[in-house]
Amino acid sequence: MILQIALLSGLVLFSILAILSKDLLRSAISLAIASLFLGIIFFRMKAPYAGVFEISVVAGLITVLFILTIALTKAEGDVRESNLAKIVFPLFFVVFIIIDVLVMKGLIQKIPTLPGSADQGTFGDVLWKQRTFDLVGQLAVILAGVFSVLALFRKRDKDE
Amino acid sequence: MNSTWFMYLGFSAVLLFVGIYCLLTMRNLIKLFIGIEIISKAVSLALLTSGVVRNNVLLAQSLVITFIVVEVSLVATALAIIINIYRHTKSLDVRKLTKLKG
Repeated sequence: MILQIALLSGLVLFSILAILSKDLLRSAISLAIASLFLGIIFFRMKAPYAGVFEISVVAGLITVLFILTIALTKAEGDVRESNLAKIVFPLFFVVFIIIDVLVMKGLIQKIPTLPGSADQGTFGDVLWKQRTFDLVGQLAVILAGVFSVLALFRKRDKDE
Repeated sequence: MNSTWFMYLGFSAVLLFVGIYCLLTMRNLIKLFIGIEIISKAVSLALLTSGVVRNNVLLAQSLVITFIVVEVSLVATALAIIINIYRHTKSLDVRKLTKLKG
């Protein structure tokens, strides 16, 4: 229980650090650490494949993409964030947590945890047999991403 | 885990709040995108929590993996757009994009 709360708190803490930090590079690295915490939480929820994907893809690949973009734009300190947003944040945060706790207390009393149908087979069975169309969708999304990046970075013709 | 699922959902809501606050108040385009990433973390945590509560971890896990793949594609495209915006406006300030109006 304590470890669960510690991991979830770490996830939220590093997410807050990512949005409040002035330095963009620090924000990106804080986001990666938050992903790492989420990956560990996934492992503890007995979802190792999701944990591996979260740590390798989100904490690894996406952080590299972020750092690459920050290096290419070289705009650190270029945009001045409003100080008011940072000052008011703790107030809104505390108010939201109070509302959140109240709502969750209400949920515990009203919504029963229904027994669902248990999983059958292995993860491979579920992924390749039950979610076949998802995989086709994933392929389409990856192709769309590749083509859109190609289209956005294409060189101009000489006569343009 | 089954008795503490509400705690996971609560933390997921907090993450969602942090992401939406970032989207509403920040001006840097990369910061805004970090906000979207935080929201996506909240969504994947909520997805897997609901799977664990319903005793259906494998299905939730495959959905989370699909979500992560879609997220990567989104990140690649959005960061490419951000770099193009920087080349045009020489700034990452989202307010300068209002010049694109009409």
